[in-house]
Amino acid sequence: MSVDWKDNEPVPYAALCKTFETIESTTKRLEIQKHLTSLFTRVVEKNPEDFLTVIYLCLNRVCPEYENHELGVGESLLIKSIAETTGRKPAKVKEELSKWGDLGKVAKDSKTTQPTLFVPKPLTVKVVFDKMKIIAGISGHDSQERKVREIKFLLTACRGKEAKYLIRSLEGKLRIGLAEQTVLTSLAQSIVKDPAQKLSRAKETEESTEASEIVKSAYSEVPSYDIIVPILLKYGVKGLEERCKLKPGIPVKPMLAHPTKSITEVLDRVEGHKFTCEFKYDGERAQVHMLEDGTLKIYSRNLEDSSTKFPDIIERMSQIVKPDTKSFVLDCEVVAWDPEKECLLPFQILSTRKRKDVKEKDIKVIVCLFAFDLLYLNGESFLKKPLEERRQHLINAFQEVDNKFSFVRHMNATNTEEIQTFLDESFKCNCEGLMIKVLDGQESTYEPSKRSRNWLKLKKDYLSGVGDSLDLVVIGAHLGRGKRTNVYGAFLLACYNPEEEKYQTICKIGTGFSDVSLENHFKFLKEHEISAPRNYYDYDKGANPDVWFEPVQVWEVKAADLSISPIYKAAVGMVDHNKGVSLRFPRFIQVREDKKAEDATTCEQVAEMYRSQFNNSENMQL
Amino acid sequence: MFEARLTQGGLLKKLLESVKELVTDANFDCSETGIALQAMDNSHVALVSLLLRSDGFEPYRCDRGFSLGVNLNSLNKILKCAANEDIITLKADDNSADNLSLSFESPSNDRISEYELKLMDIDQEHLSIPDTDYDATIVMPSAEFQRICRDLTVVSESVTIDVAKDTIKFTAEGELGSGNIKLKPVSSIDKPEEAVTIELGQDVSLQFSLKYLTNFTKGTPLSESVMLCLSENMPLLVEYKMDIGYIRYYLAPKIGDE
Repeated sequence: MSVDWKDNEPVPYAALCKTFETIESTTKRLEIQKHLTSLFTRVVEKNPEDFLTVIYLCLNRVCPEYENHELGVGESLLIKSIAETTGRKPAKVKEELSKWGDLGKVAKDSKTTQPTLFVPKPLTVKVVFDKMKIIAGISGHDSQERKVREIKFLLTACRGKEAKYLIRSLEGKLRIGLAEQTVLTSLAQSIVKDPAQKLSRAKETEESTEASEIVKSAYSEVPSYDIIVPILLKYGVKGLEERCKLKPGIPVKPMLAHPTKSITEVLDRVEGHKFTCEFKYDGERAQVHMLEDGTLKIYSRNLEDSSTKFPDIIERMSQIVKPDTKSFVLDCEVVAWDPEKECLLPFQILSTRKRKDVKEKDIKVIVCLFAFDLLYLNGESFLKKPLEERRQHLINAFQEVDNKFSFVRHMNATNTEEIQTFLDESFKCNCEGLMIKVLDGQESTYEPSKRSRNWLKLKKDYLSGVGDSLDLVVIGAHLGRGKRTNVYGAFLLACYNPEEEKYQTICKIGTGFSDVSLENHFKFLKEHEISAPRNYYDYDKGANPDVWFEPVQVWEVKAADLSISPIYKAAVGMVDHNKGVSLRFPRFIQVREDKKAEDATTCEQVAEMYRSQFNNSENMQL
Repeated sequence: MFEARLTQGGLLKKLLESVKELVTDANFDCSETGIALQAMDNSHVALVSLLLRSDGFEPYRCDRGFSLGVNLNSLNKILKCAANEDIITLKADDNSADNLSLSFESPSNDRISEYELKLMDIDQEHLSIPDTDYDATIVMPSAEFQRICRDLTVVSESVTIDVAKDTIKFTAEGELGSGNIKLKPVSSIDKPEEAVTIELGQDVSLQFSLKYLTNFTKGTPLSESVMLCLSENMPLLVEYKMDIGYIRYYLAPKIGDE
């Protein structure tokens, strides 16, 4: 079944593609895990030098996530490359793309009318990865031509199914149902599996579970395979625990909070724990790092380096950091601030700030930094320490500066009344609501990347029963008429199904837009029109838009409520057998520049929101 | 030590122009016999092979065979700094060449410019091209061939070349219509460069991508005439001969259009 190769020889791309194919053919998690582990184990045995490359290709990345180099070659360039390699006409390739909705399949099935002179050498994972890196890095003069040239080199050398996966990788998404968690588990398993050691089955399973926990936790602290994989290969899983620790300069995936709808629900959850309430500021998450050498870095929620967006924060840090504080990782919220009235301004103001290379003298939107957690201080990681202790260190290591830096307002409440009063106060200060966090013990550690139930958010919207807003992907539009001629009149939105890597339609939206915003949406989305829906769009003919888009933008949307719909596909099969969930009276709030399409509200969350509507009304009846 | 001095420097400039579109990076293989280059385009559809014999240089020195890996675009840029009449000298250390030195001397010897080009490691498969007895060999003015390719590109992306006893027919069919150009043999004793000759063993009919052919005609300034060699199901050979060597292009024929 699998493609084999000799010891110490480069891993053939065919071996990887064969594994992709088997993974794509099943939806069973365990089976996917097994196939991936088997490939990884063979790579580790035969040619560990290619291991990192194989992992990156599985994840379809060319570097650590936080370095932000993405592949994403545009559809038209890929069509051009396929046409030129096969000698087919671009129009013909496009036609087939509309038919199949998967350019990978079209490339694989394209019969060539232009044979080669010599059969190219079979591709190796290294060659493919190196070329992808080159392609991702090409910019400037002639960049399109240069990209096409590199892609043609790869396409010509593809055999069998390779072209399908190559094209999908270049598009930016493999879509074979391979989650990063699965890759991490297989990474751990392949290191633990030692053919020389004869362990009992049970022992092996136990060991592999433990190993996978260690690897996952290491990855959430240091999200860089460049660092983790070499350590694993050299020192094994045990060595990883000691050597792979959070350090300034490498962003940590932020811990997220779980939404709640009432103070009662909050108390149910945190009962019996010591807990604290903090203001939930309406701003942007920021992780501030200071390295030993004094270098300062700011990372966004997505781990993007946003240091050049906030030169004013970088500059003010010297006033904030106490002399004994040499290095740190600080978790904060950046909020737009009115220094005259000394009050918080809404997120909409903050979002008008330029996104990079901001010059200090041009700054119009003043911001204040609100710190709420300290993950690292002077060479020591605090992730495993209880919140109470982290907070103490935070207060000791930094000092508040008027209009510039402040610790979040907090209160260690114990009963409903106190929480209610504090909540009302947060609203008065233009905050979104409260964060309720477990303060001490095992459950108060910092859990990177997790949406944890040890952190709860309580927002105004939830309380008023309207529910939380949704973050949805724009995948299509209807052409405008009347007043909206020449722009799009309404849009088709979708939520994300991470299990199947699909976008499921959820509603049509035409409310909440100003003339200017419609114009801006048109300008931006026009560039991302595609000739046919992607095969990973789950939609019903009854809700066909006039044009389709690539999944590139996320919108925050509010709605009156959620209902079962025969023509929308969100959470289909989760609340109703074959009907999906739709939004009633959706209203556009804003573009979420900080979210990628895969960070959109998931179908799981949609289903939960739908169900919770009934819980609420039941509560009221009681 | 490698050293090669070329009195007609303009030739090298033209030569680079004629390969740089097809290939980005290539090895110049230097040996006693001369300088050779062989490389395929990224899609493995076309191959270019050129040779500059050592006797074309004055002097030529190459103690042992070695390769110079060059980014052709960069080399072309540097060569653009030389005037057509300049004498060009290439120098490199054959043991551990990191750089290729180029010097351009004006004919009157009052201006000398020197450049260094960084070399690169290029992993290139060496492909041997089998010697073939071709079914048809055509010689025609190179400017004529260039014009045919340019004209037919208007109509289509590919051209069919039919060779019979006393005609060569180039046919193109496309969406806007079709076109064809027929050539008959012309013997021209006064001006041999204007001759059209056909040597035929067997009739042939083959289809080729015009994009590649047009690319090959970048070799036109190198020679007054061009030779086309064809056989059924075999790559086409397009050759431009120069006093000191040749440049050959090979192209795989197309099969069954959509």
